[in-house]
This record gives sequence, structure tokens and C-alpha cells, in this order.
Amino acid sequence: MRSMSAKNRNRVLSIIGLAVGLAIWEVIGRLELSPAFPPVTAVIGAITEVWTSARFLDALRESLISIAIALPPSLIFGIGVGLLVGRYRPVEWALDPLINTFLSLPLVALIPVLFLIFGLGRGSILATIVIYTFFIVVVNTAAGVRTTDPQIVEMATSFGAGEQQVMRRVVLPSALPLMYAGVRIATGRAIRAVIIAEQVIGLIGLGGLVQRLGGAFAVEQLYAVILFIGLFGLVSMEAVTAVERRALPWVIAPEDTEPAFQGA
Amino acid sequence: MIEIEGIGRRFNTRDGGSFEALKDVSFSVKDKEFFSIIGPSGCGKTTLLKMVAGLVKPTAGRIDIDGQTVIGPGEDRAMVFQQFVLLPWADILTNVGFGLELRGMSRKESREAAKPYLEQVGLTRFAEHYPHELSGGMQQRVGLARALAVGPDILLMDEPFGALDAQTRQLMQEDLMRLWEVEQTTVIFVTHSMDEAAYLSDRVLVMDTHPGRVREILDVPLPRPREESTRRSPVFNELTSHMWHELRGMMGDPTLPAPE
Repeated sequence: MRSMSAKNRNRVLSIIGLAVGLAIWEVIGRLELSPAFPPVTAVIGAITEVWTSARFLDALRESLISIAIALPPSLIFGIGVGLLVGRYRPVEWALDPLINTFLSLPLVALIPVLFLIFGLGRGSILATIVIYTFFIVVVNTAAGVRTTDPQIVEMATSFGAGEQQVMRRVVLPSALPLMYAGVRIATGRAIRAVIIAEQVIGLIGLGGLVQRLGGAFAVEQLYAVILFIGLFGLVSMEAVTAVERRALPWVIAPEDTEPAFQGA
Repeated sequence: MIEIEGIGRRFNTRDGGSFEALKDVSFSVKDKEFFSIIGPSGCGKTTLLKMVAGLVKPTAGRIDIDGQTVIGPGEDRAMVFQQFVLLPWADILTNVGFGLELRGMSRKESREAAKPYLEQVGLTRFAEHYPHELSGGMQQRVGLARALAVGPDILLMDEPFGALDAQTRQLMQEDLMRLWEVEQTTVIFVTHSMDEAAYLSDRVLVMDTHPGRVREILDVPLPRPREESTRRSPVFNELTSHMWHELRGMMGDPTLPAPE
């Protein structure tokens, strides 16, 4: 119960922080210091108009289709490869340099290469989403696998479990919390990837819309789209978290770790 | 009948040398016997138990169970661990059924089959709780129920009450006695508690250290069923003080002359 009130207090602080931020934005906008900062009220006015326009909805659909095609296979293969990398040393040694390279490279630098390979179309957008999400899922899943308690593996072995059973019944559930973290991060990165790739093409999707609105100096509308992208990212990651909470009931906050029932 | 014949175990050390954990260990355990192994830390008693479990391979000698040489874990054996080792992501009933699940039952069947064992250890009302919600003693009851659920001929217990407080420990010993009299399995019980070894066992193997080897095997001439009063009998006290003398000598207590 005491954590509830702390949570409420934190929520109030978040709202105050947001309100102050918006107020400062409004003041700067009213001062007309720069065309890049329209008053926040003007942006909010543009939201209803923009978010319901056919142009916006078409762009949103395009972006969502790209994510829907590229993200699920990227997650599934990422998890599969991550399980192998985390569990088997030779696989780890073989793939580690490659994975680390992709994780440390600024991926934006690779986008022109992807466009050379896949052309100015959906193929390049899908490839961008994959390189933005695949490796991070691999690394997180592998890290999750490494959290497996060797004592549990030994226990399962003592009851006659073979490698396949150990993998399915022990390693996979042990890896789940970090695996889900990887999925959450990848979801955010997929949204970033699709916008970046679409901006390069400049014609399709929300990224394309941002590019065109920017080019036309339609600043209020531009902000309306940017705000939507931000909110969409936030909601998507929250959705993954909600699924995670349901799927992993044993992952508990530290304050809840005391045994609820005492005695032998 | 478990026959342990000339068991040795060498481990390679980092500097390229080797370390002898066990040397020429031989003894046998009769069917339905409660057999304890006691010894100072590092005498290899847990390694020895894991060899009987088929988890560790000896580098010398062999272990036969009813004439069959142990080459790995088998359905005739089940182990109880010092740190309980429950699945944190599964509820208590699934944990109790886990051994059965690994041996081919579906999750549903194993949960159903686990119920009477959970009942035996008195935790039926915690069936749908998670391990972290239970105290150490309760978690070890789950560990014990999980082992009993697979219907083993041999129960291998690795300091099962070592992580519990003294009162809980005593309660668990009494419960184990009660269960063992019902289940009628052979038990090999590793401990470093002399009271525990004397109270529970038919025979106690006292191990020497560096390298681990058999020092002596003591008969425990205490009547069964063992009761609270057993702990105050002269025979009990004589046994424990004998063990204490032996172990203390091994641990190099300078106030005592080394035995032998």
C-alpha cells in the first residue's frame, strides 16, 4: 500500500514536469523568436486537423505495414540466435564480433548501403528495421540465457533432463525477463528505424510526411506528426511492458521479496 | 544395494597440476537403509553424492546400484538440494511435478500426480503460490516433495537442512523421519551436523579430508521410531561426542592430539 502513495506522488510530479515544459514552450512560441517554435496551443490546434487527415492516415498505415512485416521475424530470429549465442560457447565466439560491430556502428551510416542493395522502396525500409532490432534482441536474449542458475540446470539434469529439455524448461524461462527487455527496446527502435528510412525516401510513411511538412515549412503540422510519433513509441513500449507483467508474474519488485508466509 | 568401489576423483587445477578430491572410497549402502555421510568442508562428500546421482563422473573406481554401474542420472534416484533449487517462475504444484514432467508427463498430468506429495509435506494450500512467497523450510519441503513424487528407490540428500535455522531444521528432521518410515526408500544423506547424522541414520560414514576418504563407518544402535527423547539418550550423546572428537582432530584443533 505504501508503494501506491509513492507511485501517486511520482505521477503528480511527472504531470507537473510536463505542464512546466509545455508552459515554457508556449512562452517561447509567443515571443516569436524563431519560426521553428510555434506556440504549443497552435500545435495542439493542428493536431485534430492533421491526425484525421487522409494524408496522415495513409502515411501511418504505410509505416505500420513496414513494422508489421519486418519486426516479428526480426524478433523471432533474434531470440533464436540469442538463445544459441548465450548457451553455446562456439556460437558465441563465432558471432560475437559481428554482433558487436552492428551494435556499435551508427546504423544511420548503413542506410545508404541498404538503399544501394534494396533500392528506393519498401525493401530498404524493412532492412533498416531489421538491422535496428535484430542485434539488440540477440544480445539481450543471450544475456538472459547467461542468467540461468547452473544449480537449476543441475537439478533438471539430476531428474534426467536432456539438453533439449534443459533448453526449453530451464534456459528459456530463465532468459525471459531480459528477452522481454530486448523486445521492448527493439519495439522502440523499430519505430525509429521506419521513420529514418522513410525520411531518406521522402515520399512514403510518417517519415516521408515529416520530410515533406518540414520542406513546406508547415511547422505546426510537423510538430503534430512528431508528437504522434513520440506518443506512439511510448504507447507501444508500455504495451510490451503490460504483456511482460502478465507473462512474468515471478519477476517481482525488490520490496516484495520478503516471504509472505513465515514458518516451516 | 549401492556398492561404491575404489572411488577416486581428481580435478585439474589452473596451474596445470591436479588436486585429489577423493581417494579410494569404498563402502556399500543396503536397501532401505538411512545412510549419512559426515565430514569437514572440502572432504568431497557432496562430490561423492553427485557421483551416485550420476552428475559427476569418478576418475577411478565405480558405483554399482543393484549390479548396474552408474553412468548418469536414472529414474531410480532423486536428489534434494541444499539451496532447494526450485523454479522461480513456476508455482509450487508445478515445482513438485517438475521431475515427473521431465520424465515424460504433461504439465497437467504432473500437477495432478504431484498433489498427494504436496499434501504429504503439508503444503496443499500453497499449491498456487510461487517459491519466493514461501519460507526456507517450506521451500525445502517442496524440494523433498519433488524428489518423492518421482517414486525413487534412492533419495540423495545434499545437506538439505543446511540452509535452515536451528528450530526449522529440527522440525524438518522429524518430518523427514516420519516420511521415510512411510516411503521406505534408501537414503544417502550428506550433512555436517553430527546431531542430524546420529538422529536420522542407521549408519554414519565419517570422512577424512585432503584427500577425501573413508575414516570410519559407525552403526547407530538407536531404536526406531526415533523420537524427541532420542536426542537425550546416552547412546546418542556418546555417538555425537565420538564424531565430534574425530572431526575436531581432522580440522587440526591444536588443543587435541591428532587421532591415531
